[in-house]
Amino acid sequence: MIDCTHYRRTLMVDPHDPDPALGEHRATCRDCNLYAQRLLRFESRLERALRVPVPAQPGADALPSDRVVPLRRRLSRAAAGSAPYRKGWLAMAASVLLALVVAGGLWLSAPGPSLAADVVTHMAGEPQAWKRTDVPVPTPELLDVLRNSRLRLGSSAGVVSYAASCEFRGHRVPHLVVQTDSGPVTVMVLVHERVPKTVQFDEQGYRGVIVPVAGHGSLAVLTRGPSTDAKTVEHIATRVLDSIDWTG
Amino acid sequence: MKDRIGGNQKRARFQALCQSLRPDLLRFAFWLSRDRALAEDVVQETMLRAWKAQDSLLDEAAAKPWFLTIIRREYARTFERKRFVTVDVDELVAREEPMLAVAEEQDLAEMRAALFKLPDEYREPLVLQVLMGLSTAEIARELDLSGAAVLTRLFRARKQLRALCGEDTSLDPQE
Repeated sequence: MIDCTHYRRTLMVDPHDPDPALGEHRATCRDCNLYAQRLLRFESRLERALRVPVPAQPGADALPSDRVVPLRRRLSRAAAGSAPYRKGWLAMAASVLLALVVAGGLWLSAPGPSLAADVVTHMAGEPQAWKRTDVPVPTPELLDVLRNSRLRLGSSAGVVSYAASCEFRGHRVPHLVVQTDSGPVTVMVLVHERVPKTVQFDEQGYRGVIVPVAGHGSLAVLTRGPSTDAKTVEHIATRVLDSIDWTG
Repeated sequence: MKDRIGGNQKRARFQALCQSLRPDLLRFAFWLSRDRALAEDVVQETMLRAWKAQDSLLDEAAAKPWFLTIIRREYARTFERKRFVTVDVDELVAREEPMLAVAEEQDLAEMRAALFKLPDEYREPLVLQVLMGLSTAEIARELDLSGAAVLTRLFRARKQLRALCGEDTSLDPQE
């Protein structure tokens, strides 16, 4: 049994700590419940603040044509004594080298990796999303993520514990984690990716399915680890799809 | 021929991995250095080093900590190569104002300015936890600290940040 001080200390270290004892305390202590709500609002603001804007196209700022302006700006700032450290020609040489490497990679990589492979690769970049928790993402944050894809998610989908608007194949797409009986499940709404039929995949520890959605691209649903079989994943995908209300 | 196709696919996967991680790596480098231009330089160098050393990444699931380690080393190298001028935090905030003020909401801009004022020893573990999704154990490994030290720093980071943001801290626990 934990007391209020222990509960609040733990929350200050990790507001998303999934320890069931914390949930039990919160359910029985009104003051701590209010405290947790405030702290989670603060945490949500912190998460959004840390996500400073970066170039829309990953790697685009490495191309020489795009590097010219920032480099000049940086050099002039350095000359004016306002920047602590700039490494002019070295950065330019590195830019050209990286551009060559990227261009070479693009040339060598044809045909491109499959949609499923890209989805799995994207998962490696979001490990924090896989936490098992009963703490839902704040509603305004979820609505904000879903708005661009013109959809709403009904409560039958389950608790949405993570929602982010992610860069994927040149588009911003909703990346959600829904807590299910089988554990956390990742859902990516891919309105720009059409697939002719359902695709199942099992790669790098991820088991998933990409299902076509008439008029709205496709939906990718993934679980991590071997505990969930392919049939269950498909069942979860159907449930999530049923809970989606397309608004446009 | 088969080896070449396999090699090409491996390179393509690595490239896709770099692209998917790049936004968060840039953000991490930015919060580490509090300087967008320097962050871009560090990430660029990191990508080059990672490309050369890609064979040493045996498990793609471990890619993020792997990249973070390279970024932190690369950032440390910039200090070895050049003696930095001590800069006032308010000056740093003013210099990066275009970046910090991009926020649609004023409270995000305030939070970002507060993060700038947070000491490095508290800001770094907080960014690793909240932005990069690392567990306490992973942060401890990355920063070469004990688990208890990481917990203390995360606690102090949030406590200071809440105070800097003008939050009501009267109900916050004491250390």
